[in-house]
Amino acid sequence: MSRHLLKFNVNGKDHALVVESHERLLDVLRDRLGLKGTKEGCSTGDCGICAVLMDGKLVNSCLVIAIQARNKKITTIEAIGTSEQLHPLQREFIKWNASQCGFCIPAMILASKNLLDHKPSPTDEEIKQATRGIICRCTGYHSMINAVRAAALEMKKQ
Amino acid sequence: MYVPENLDDLLTYLERHQSGVQLIANGSDLINRMQRRQVNAQVLVDLSGLSEFNFVRKDKGKIRIGALTTIHDLISSPVLGSRYDVFRDVAAKFGGPSIVNVATVGGNICAASSAEDLIPVLLVLNAKVSLRSKKGERVITLKEFLRGKRQTALLQNEIMVETVFDELDEQSSCAFEKIGMRNSLIIAILNCSVYLKLDKRTKRVDDIRLALNRVFEKIPARAKKTEIAMRGKNLSMQLVETAITSLKSELQLSSDFRASKEYRHDVAPVLFKRALIKCAERLGEKLVV
Repeated sequence: MSRHLLKFNVNGKDHALVVESHERLLDVLRDRLGLKGTKEGCSTGDCGICAVLMDGKLVNSCLVIAIQARNKKITTIEAIGTSEQLHPLQREFIKWNASQCGFCIPAMILASKNLLDHKPSPTDEEIKQATRGIICRCTGYHSMINAVRAAALEMKKQ
Repeated sequence: MYVPENLDDLLTYLERHQSGVQLIANGSDLINRMQRRQVNAQVLVDLSGLSEFNFVRKDKGKIRIGALTTIHDLISSPVLGSRYDVFRDVAAKFGGPSIVNVATVGGNICAASSAEDLIPVLLVLNAKVSLRSKKGERVITLKEFLRGKRQTALLQNEIMVETVFDELDEQSSCAFEKIGMRNSLIIAILNCSVYLKLDKRTKRVDDIRLALNRVFEKIPARAKKTEIAMRGKNLSMQLVETAITSLKSELQLSSDFRASKEYRHDVAPVLFKRALIKCAERLGEKLVV
């Protein structure tokens, strides 16, 4: 088992830690940095629940070996909004009841935020495309699409 | 895990360690297989840092795609205009953004299972692959590269650096169709790619190439008898029906946990017909069903 020095940036903060070869990005985020917002779902890349942004692109953190995230910028749900000041997406997800059990929500919010960063006025089809690959077993997705659409309008007003 | 400093360091390492080594690009397929204990390796060698192999270039009538080009970068490349929408066909059914953003062209080829989506496309494009070791580079056809399920011609001291194929001209087009269990992230029950070169004036099929992820048992290959049945004939729905009869007799498919043999036999002509109609449309021709 070999060890590596992993230097990377998580939510704007630089980190340097020693990781083992078998550790996944998901393990490092949750167990080493205590960022429990990122959830583990299937661990095989099928459900998309563990998604985070790596250099601005959505990736499944269960399918990234930690050392492969060296020199990358990672964004997790912890960087989106604060409990005092929610992100418009978070506000709209609550308003539209788009979060039921909540397990897929960190990934859904990150995927939607990434979409809105690039396309401030997405079509419903674009919202579906951006969030496809993330499985939600509660909502049936319609409330989520409504929430993302509403958040896009909200963000344009600001 | 061995993390090489650069390409030279990597090739030197591979030269010295000829067994127990497994190359890893971005891991979207390999990590799964490791978790299922399907990969037997002592050391992973990390290729993800070799950004020099993430490129799409036009070069003297050829298209060159670096092995570490992600599916996302492939379809966003300005080099591949609408004539190469076949790659967008692939990406649309490849997986969600979190897979498309990391899966690489080289990884898809080298994984060499019967479910890889790029393999049938690159087979109909008559693609070649470049393999590099400390001793130099060799170029072989993709057909020669694929040796069977999960078997390739890649030697222990080599890495794949790029895949190359001829540019599509005005008379030719290419399309891809796939069927699986889920729309957003599917492993193919069956997929199919068609390359068509059409004489627009006479509607004659100057050339056609057709490949599926399974032609014989679980081996991706071209359906050459069907190609021969169509070459030189005038493109019409009647010809398509003749081709389908030929395709049905040519395929020898098998059942597995994804689908039965019978289902695959029924669905193959449908995928072929859809891909061919799309090819014709891309050349401005309408095939009426």
